[in-house]
Amino acid sequence: MTSQVALLGHHARLHRAALVPLALGLALFEWMMTFVAGQPAVSRFLSEALRAAPPQFLAVLNQDLLVGVSARGIVGVGYAHPFALIMMAVWAVRVPCAALAGEIGRGTMDLVAARPVTRSSQVGAAAVALLTGLGALAAAAWLGTAVGLTMRPVEGVSALRYLPVAAALWLVFACFGAVAILVSALSREAGTAIAWISGLLAGSYVLDYVARVWPRMASLRPASLFRYYEPQQVVEAGLARHDVAVLAAVGAAALLVAFAVFARRDL
Amino acid sequence: MDAPPIQVRGLGKRYGAVVALKDLSLDVAAGEVFGFLGPNGAGKTTTIRLLLGLIRPDGGEVKVLGRVPFGRGTASRADIGYLPGDMAFWPRLSGAETLDFFAELTGRPPAARERLLARLGLGAAELGRHVRTYSDGMKQKLGLVQALQCEPRLVLLDEPTKGLDPLVQQGFYEIVADLRSAGATVFLSSHVLPEVERVCDRVAMLRSGAVVSLGDVEALRRAERRRVIADFGADVDTAALGHFGDVTVARPRHAELLVAQADLPALVARLGMLPLVDVVVERPTLEEAFLEHYR
Repeated sequence: MTSQVALLGHHARLHRAALVPLALGLALFEWMMTFVAGQPAVSRFLSEALRAAPPQFLAVLNQDLLVGVSARGIVGVGYAHPFALIMMAVWAVRVPCAALAGEIGRGTMDLVAARPVTRSSQVGAAAVALLTGLGALAAAAWLGTAVGLTMRPVEGVSALRYLPVAAALWLVFACFGAVAILVSALSREAGTAIAWISGLLAGSYVLDYVARVWPRMASLRPASLFRYYEPQQVVEAGLARHDVAVLAAVGAAALLVAFAVFARRDL
Repeated sequence: MDAPPIQVRGLGKRYGAVVALKDLSLDVAAGEVFGFLGPNGAGKTTTIRLLLGLIRPDGGEVKVLGRVPFGRGTASRADIGYLPGDMAFWPRLSGAETLDFFAELTGRPPAARERLLARLGLGAAELGRHVRTYSDGMKQKLGLVQALQCEPRLVLLDEPTKGLDPLVQQGFYEIVADLRSAGATVFLSSHVLPEVERVCDRVAMLRSGAVVSLGDVEALRRAERRRVIADFGADVDTAALGHFGDVTVARPRHAELLVAQADLPALVARLGMLPLVDVVVERPTLEEAFLEHYR
């Protein structure tokens, strides 16, 4: 337990400098989206512009409801926008890859693993640092929304509606992060792990997009983790049990395999 | 009687097709300073990493402080201090943060830290700086302090004086002497043979993953051939002295030979029959013993 706390403190020291700008960036972005949604002229303009936009463009924003829903939909775009996704992805890639493969590649893993620290506590500490940081980022995103809507209330738009959206955002990147921990547990260099997980993230995003705009590829959509993240539907109907179950199951399975792999490998 | 802190039987390790270690067997007794010698790639670092459980053996058995190190044997590591051959730290942590982190991981107070810092000449100002600003020598000092600050019972040191200036090396030898008098066991891998000769009780020499020689430093030197240097007042057939050993230099009035200790009396008697002016019999250094094995 002591070593677990020490490892968590270590992750905090190594990554705190990155967490602050990521959280601020997300909060400001979501605040800005409420500002845009609160301007009737702006949302009308956006609505009309998007109505004329090709469906492929709307698919990029994962945005089927925007045109009709207006203000509520515009705020929801903030949670599907590539900017928000990249902010979350930075943490989901950075922490797992630095924690295991990064320590091995740098040569510091030998010093840590030569202490009374179990392999599972190393994976566990990386997972806790990942999930806590993602939690802070998702909370910052929601706070941006909440503060924006408090400063400039928009009719029919409640900040509470976006709490489950922030939870879904946390969950999808927790799932990617768990896969990143598995990739990191298998790798010897942070660079290799980053390349694999970044490729997986980008591939998953592209697959989801292509499957939405090209009917012949629609059957492949369930293979993308982004299929299980539908912020606009969460705004309207809350978290979908099926999506939560899939993301939680994939994340948990990836973590379990990571524990098993890292416990048995040569460092 | 307690089991030796390090027990190794038939230990083997392969990396793909490369045999890094084969059939290594040795015991290191409590309170012993044990030297581990060998050229690059001989398997020294692999052995240390196996002792720490960082890698899994392909064959044989290893016990460190009574526990198998790979897997669940992590508890005994609180009693182990380790200095790797290639020192690496987190560049954005300060020296003090680094030491605190390792003490926290060890789960014991760093009782020896101040004494070690003073002996190695690492001050508070330097400890407050980021490790990225450290020279290689300072990193090595920090490595030694992190390995020894929690007063371990067993110390594994891989090339401990690499990058240290002679004054600090002297401090390191004093630290090893302190460890010995405190009853700690030291397992030391080094290329610096005079250093091993100076601080170690016993030595194992490793070649291509196998031990080629194991014994106390004095016995190893004794087992090696003596260098005999003879000068003569008149020309003699120095090549004929090859009967007693290997003649390495043969000039009419000067000869140098490598002779087994058992053949020395006969050689001295033969030299007495020649117009001998001077004779020197040199005990081999550990370096010569080492080179004999690796030539």
